[in-house]
Amino acid sequence: MKSAGLIMFAAALTLLAAPAVAQNKPAGKDTKLYFIWPRDGARLKSPFACRFGLRNMGVTHAGDEYPNSGHHHLLIDVAEPLNPNEPIPSDKSHLHFGAGQTETQLDLAPGKHTLQLVLGDAKHYPFNPPVVSEKITIRVK
Amino acid sequence: MGEIRDFKSGRPQSDNTQPPGTSMPRRLAAIVAGDIAGYSRLMQLDEEGTHTRVKRTLRDLVEPTIAEHHGKLVKTTGDGFIAMFDSPVEAVRCSIVIQQNMIGRNAAIARDNWIEYRIGVNLGDVIIEPDDIYGDGVNVASRLEGIAAPGEVFISGGIYEQIKHKMVCGYESLGDKKVKNITDPVRVYRVLPDAAAYQRTRRRRESILLTLLGLAIAVIAGGVLWYMLAQPRGKPADVAQAPPPPVASPAVQPPAPSPAPAPSQAASPAPSATPTQQASPAPSASPAVTTPEPEMVSLQGGSFSMGSNDDPSERPIRKVTVKPFAMGKYPVTVREWNACAAAKACGFTASGKDDVPVTNVSWSDAKQYVAWLAEATKKAYRLPSEAEWEYAARGGTQSKYWWGDQMQSGHAGCKDCGGDAAAEQPVKVGSFKPNPFGLYDMGGGVDQWAEDCWHRNYQGGPADGAVWSGGDCASHVIRSGSWKNDARYVRPANRDNYDTNVRYPTHGFRVALSP
Repeated sequence: MKSAGLIMFAAALTLLAAPAVAQNKPAGKDTKLYFIWPRDGARLKSPFACRFGLRNMGVTHAGDEYPNSGHHHLLIDVAEPLNPNEPIPSDKSHLHFGAGQTETQLDLAPGKHTLQLVLGDAKHYPFNPPVVSEKITIRVK
Repeated sequence: MGEIRDFKSGRPQSDNTQPPGTSMPRRLAAIVAGDIAGYSRLMQLDEEGTHTRVKRTLRDLVEPTIAEHHGKLVKTTGDGFIAMFDSPVEAVRCSIVIQQNMIGRNAAIARDNWIEYRIGVNLGDVIIEPDDIYGDGVNVASRLEGIAAPGEVFISGGIYEQIKHKMVCGYESLGDKKVKNITDPVRVYRVLPDAAAYQRTRRRRESILLTLLGLAIAVIAGGVLWYMLAQPRGKPADVAQAPPPPVASPAVQPPAPSPAPAPSQAASPAPSATPTQQASPAPSASPAVTTPEPEMVSLQGGSFSMGSNDDPSERPIRKVTVKPFAMGKYPVTVREWNACAAAKACGFTASGKDDVPVTNVSWSDAKQYVAWLAEATKKAYRLPSEAEWEYAARGGTQSKYWWGDQMQSGHAGCKDCGGDAAAEQPVKVGSFKPNPFGLYDMGGGVDQWAEDCWHRNYQGGPADGAVWSGGDCASHVIRSGSWKNDARYVRPANRDNYDTNVRYPTHGFRVALSP
């Protein structure tokens, strides 16, 4: 609970320090968001399973304000940078996993695609600093 | 089918190399003749494109459909085809299937590029040759096709007699028609494949009758008035002109309206009043109940082509018939939502202006609201089914957007429609033009929940407009696209899904009401 308090304190500090990113919750320390599957450069057939890994933070239901936890968002072929001051968009290239899912089934058209994970907080905002995975490139046969 | 094959394959017992002998095989067959309306125009527009599309239609639709109905494609011409069937029922069924599929295929493209078949079906005794069929029966079929309107199926009296009690669809008799180069007139029927088309023709007749009636009344009323006003000149005319504007404003109802509008009023109401737009405003005006009810628009239901080819989730396009129901004129607003919150029946109190759509609503939240509203008003309020939503959003159109195939400003709130995507809340309801059904914000504004669980495409979907049961109920269907999405999401066919119990800042809903 002490760490929670610290986080709250840090949150308060960020609030004071940077009003532009006031909404963003602080990320945990040494967090790592990554794809368990597929691997970068994989060639696979659609549909395929996609599994999300997260270290040093917890996965929870969107809307839950547990400290140091969030829910997954999967960005498919998204080129534009993430805006930290807005909720992570919701559309066909920004998939949300607000029920706390840690994997999904993807059905993508043949060709090259990029995948990237972004962790969102209770209100779908990215953390500060953003908890994102490496952007991987896969090829669908 | 087997029989036809035998004839066609050139009489297997006798030798094939011989030219057709004196004993020409004849048989009774249902002949389907189809051709593409405006083929030359299409070819002028885009020769190669049209050619490829026509070929594809033949390969993907016409040929397999004929085979499915146990028919035989006799030949194809540049823009048409001739097929024969043992069974008149199968022949007509096949024609209807082709026409309905074409509606779906055309739905996704501009009207100018539509490929529309005209189809004629006739029953006749024909001469069979290996690559063709000949005879009066074939000619009549192609003449019928010639007089059919694009997208329609015309059948001869002979076919009608065979199928009238066997197929559930409407027929409109067009009487005996003289067709080119055929001596005897042919009795012609138009096939009305679905209930809606049948209703439409009936309604058209009714409205013609009503208009005539209205006109007659107007003429009589006008005559009488003219008689009354013109004959005794002096006083009565003054009296008649006196009442209207200044005196009788609030309390006194002018008993006789001014002379001029009277006849037109008598004439207009019945025929021209569009039955779709009967708004039933039931605001907080009623004294006893304080529940703010969303304003509803009654829709009469009917058939439409649901889906599009723009996204795999919207395929296959299929014909869906929706029953009459009422749809919220606007998405549920913050004011309406907060009445539920105040009654402790909804999960949270929404912030923001009263007239903006409520947002950050999960599917379960929306269900709580409709359950409360239904209970408070004793009316069958509910969420719309996905089919109802699309039917209402299309507003009777089949174009990409309800106003056409191009994005136009002022019609919807979305990221690249000229709106402010960075705004935290959507603009207030009704800020954009209503669709032909008088509904606002069907596309853009806020995302809107449907009752249905998510299915990733329309394979196996119901055709009756009901909620599609089963599927992935951890997420539900979301429609409309929001002010933060781009124009692709504003399309009435666009569909997406979201976790059932998760709130998101662009998600709202509108209510439906069973009659």
